[in-house]
Amino acid sequence: MYVGGGLVVLGTVAIGLIEMVAGSPHPVSGEGQIVHEALVPLEIRSYIILLGLLVWGAYAVYKVAAGDRATGTARREIGTQQTE
Amino acid sequence: MATSDLTPVRTRMLGREVSFNVSQPWLSFWLVIMRLIAGWWLLHAGLDKLAGWPFDASWFVGGAAAGTSIGPFVTMFSSGAGLAFTNVAVPVGQLLIGLGLVFGALTRTAAFFGAFQMMFFYFINGETGGWAHGVVTGELLGILIFGMIATLGAGRVLGVDAYLADTKFFRNHPRLQYLIG
Repeated sequence: MYVGGGLVVLGTVAIGLIEMVAGSPHPVSGEGQIVHEALVPLEIRSYIILLGLLVWGAYAVYKVAAGDRATGTARREIGTQQTE
Repeated sequence: MATSDLTPVRTRMLGREVSFNVSQPWLSFWLVIMRLIAGWWLLHAGLDKLAGWPFDASWFVGGAAAGTSIGPFVTMFSSGAGLAFTNVAVPVGQLLIGLGLVFGALTRTAAFFGAFQMMFFYFINGETGGWAHGVVTGELLGILIFGMIATLGAGRVLGVDAYLADTKFFRNHPRLQYLIG
């Protein structure tokens, strides 16, 4: 989860900060669109975010295929004790 | 808010102790709201497409997708059997995902496929416009909300999954918790 999350945060927040601090100005057009020369190529940024999302997706599929009962998931309301 | 309504969360993240309290009624409330709105988002999209049947995705999976980072994969579905599949899978999928989320049935499965679809829309809509609306768009936030709905098991609050989780079949197959909840 952390690897996937790290990639997504890297692609959005970290590169976003780099662009803000060191990149070229982002004028916003009349339709609210941003057109600018990106410091980090947009393709690379896309791939980083895509990779992060794919890692999350793969983790989800893995958990469904191979996971045991998740620790701490309650089967009943709090208050009824049941021996397993 | 009475303190007895708070439930403690205590865990470890990145090697540190993390501990905070969550208000039980507010958490339950937000789970239902998120589930309803995210569910309506997809249900409405699916119903719109069904109302305008037949649905043709070729402009999106063929033209718009070519040249994006997931283009090589998506354009495989832009003609023939792949396109025929997509033209049914997208509207029907959105309808089922939307219904599942709104009624809280098979919520984790619905949320997963919602996020799966959103991923395609996120990259194709984003990249074809050169990310002119930024990298954090509604589609990415949708992916995050679906992730939250699945993680927190929002279907168990005022949803069909609350009933399903109590059935004997579910209790005998604990692995179903990853699909239901």
